[in-house]
Amino acid sequence: MADIYTAEWYEEVRDAMNARVATMKDLPKGILQIKVEIYGDGVSPYVAEGSERHFLVRIEDGRCAWYREVEGDDPDVRLDYRFRGPATPFDEIAAGLEDPITAALHGTVKVRGDMRFLMRQAEQVKVLLEAYATGVQTSWPLGQPPYATTSEEALRA
Amino acid sequence: MRDSYDAVIIGAGHNGLTLGAYLARSGLEVLVLERRHEEGGGLCTEELTLSGFLHNVHANYHTFVDLAPPVHDLDVRGHGVEYVRPDVQMASIYDDGTALTVHTDLDKTCTSIARFSEEDAQTFRRLYTEAHGYVDLLLGTLMYQPPMSVKELTRALATFGVEDRSEFLSVKLRRETINQFLDQHFTHPKVKAHLAFHGAVCAYTNDVPGLAIGFPLLVGKIDNWHLCIGGSHRLAHALWRDLAQHGGVMVSDADVQAILVDGGRAVGVRLADGTEVAARKLVASTVSVEQTFLEFLEPRATPEELRVRIKNDVKHKDWTLFSVHLAMTTLPEYSAAQFDPDVNRAWVVNLGYGSLEELNADFAAVRAGRLPEPKPNAAVNSLYDPTDAPPGCSTGLLRQFAPFAIAGGGEGEWESLGRWYGHRCIEAWRRFAPNLTDDVILDWVPYTPLEIAQKLPNMVRGDWMMGEVSLANMLDQRPLPELGQYRTPVEALYMAGSTQHPHGFITFAPAYNALQVIADDLGIDAWWRQV
Repeated sequence: MADIYTAEWYEEVRDAMNARVATMKDLPKGILQIKVEIYGDGVSPYVAEGSERHFLVRIEDGRCAWYREVEGDDPDVRLDYRFRGPATPFDEIAAGLEDPITAALHGTVKVRGDMRFLMRQAEQVKVLLEAYATGVQTSWPLGQPPYATTSEEALRA
Repeated sequence: MRDSYDAVIIGAGHNGLTLGAYLARSGLEVLVLERRHEEGGGLCTEELTLSGFLHNVHANYHTFVDLAPPVHDLDVRGHGVEYVRPDVQMASIYDDGTALTVHTDLDKTCTSIARFSEEDAQTFRRLYTEAHGYVDLLLGTLMYQPPMSVKELTRALATFGVEDRSEFLSVKLRRETINQFLDQHFTHPKVKAHLAFHGAVCAYTNDVPGLAIGFPLLVGKIDNWHLCIGGSHRLAHALWRDLAQHGGVMVSDADVQAILVDGGRAVGVRLADGTEVAARKLVASTVSVEQTFLEFLEPRATPEELRVRIKNDVKHKDWTLFSVHLAMTTLPEYSAAQFDPDVNRAWVVNLGYGSLEELNADFAAVRAGRLPEPKPNAAVNSLYDPTDAPPGCSTGLLRQFAPFAIAGGGEGEWESLGRWYGHRCIEAWRRFAPNLTDDVILDWVPYTPLEIAQKLPNMVRGDWMMGEVSLANMLDQRPLPELGQYRTPVEALYMAGSTQHPHGFITFAPAYNALQVIADDLGIDAWWRQV
């Protein structure tokens, strides 16, 4: 069981995602690069308030090739999607406590990029999100959500 | 003007200028041709009454300003555009002297609604909050992308289980009217009337089946109305400036007579004076489909079936707007201010619609070609733009839902009815704002549906949305399925105006979406696609 947001944890997430899509047909061809930006909200202990942690995910032919922590935007890296939000809801999603689709629908996590592609690949997107949210056992060395303050309150803060 | 360009764009409205500016920034040599004496199209600001009084003849309301990619990509603020978002956005004043106000402050709006119904106030807060959660997601999906089909959308929404996660979004909305949506969720007639009025001002008529599907999005922008300081034409000028700074050329008084086609490919245009301009890569039309395919193209250039369908199947709005522009020495002081003082600072005011039934009856009358008893909406830009009138004075804009053709006489009747109906609209305003006596109105002019069509022929039959707003004429079905993705049967000819998805209004979206298609076809590096 890997600690949240470590390289080992992301490897497990990647493997969980790929295991889930392995049986899916008609996976989209090509490369997608997704940036996940998590900013500290004063509640989550995993991203300090005032700081951000950024992760880059590369999807090749529908499978997650790698998932790594990066610093800021690299002008040489063309992004297809950007997911951005406060840390607590991201923690809650990883803990299976918050539904990622609801988080996007409510604007808790902002999604930018070509929504038509995401909607046309809804089945696969749903499977990938489920893998992220429930596919791995996670260790929470600094404490586990739900925190004393909820993600809704963190968002308002 | 040279004799050839990479891209020739017909029409210098905000869509033509937007497309031109993007293409110019992408390194193409761009020519934008405008029939009128100036750029702007619907972004038209004129001193219609007296010197110093600036009247927005067509587009007055700009919504989603900061969500529209071109506002940032083309640096319109850097080119001098200044927007204000009035803190009291809108109001309804009812016959009994009560009033409902919509503020940029949600709490104030809910407090106002709660004076009529606490339950409705709570529902509105939930609806607004939900809509605000997904408004930019929906805009990114539905407005600033070439359109998906309704079937694709509903399938995706079902897969994501959106209906289970939302109180207000539902697949059944695609069969329902806004009236039905309001009846299901709200209780008070005046609250429902105000929300329906807001939809109608956005061209979403409350009794049209299927338009409920767009209603949550409309609520998401109910407090997002912006006023362009110094007149809407400032935006057109900013877009032209961006075009020019990147090497593009806009030529006014350039009346396109024909789109030249060679071997099935659009290769240029011919102007009314006989001048021919070659287009090396593309021609884009931002005017109506009727002008583009029935006037500009030789019949043999397009399939006869398409010409027939454009004549028979392209749908236009079944109501339009009659306007009165006023120059005044004072601001309106509403009697209803005794009930809610904020009505005197409301930018746009619905004067009198107090129930869905009243709106239904008036739209029925308008569709039958009859002039309803005026219940105009009144906008006073001077409340928030001190530059639009001389010191101490004010402009006024009345807009009344109206037919294009008058029953029994046709649209020509407007020639004789304009002053008479305008006077009646002013009387209707005065009923709610008694201080607007004749002596404080320095001058006023009517602007009839007939004049809309004469001034801007692409607004066919006064259709200020350049196409019916209905589910059958949305997304990839607009204006016809074979034209719904901005391409046409003529190679290198694109449609990039408000005939296309999503619709009219100052959204920039038809041009922005056509740009995506053009970029894909021509292999242009889409520098603007930054996420």
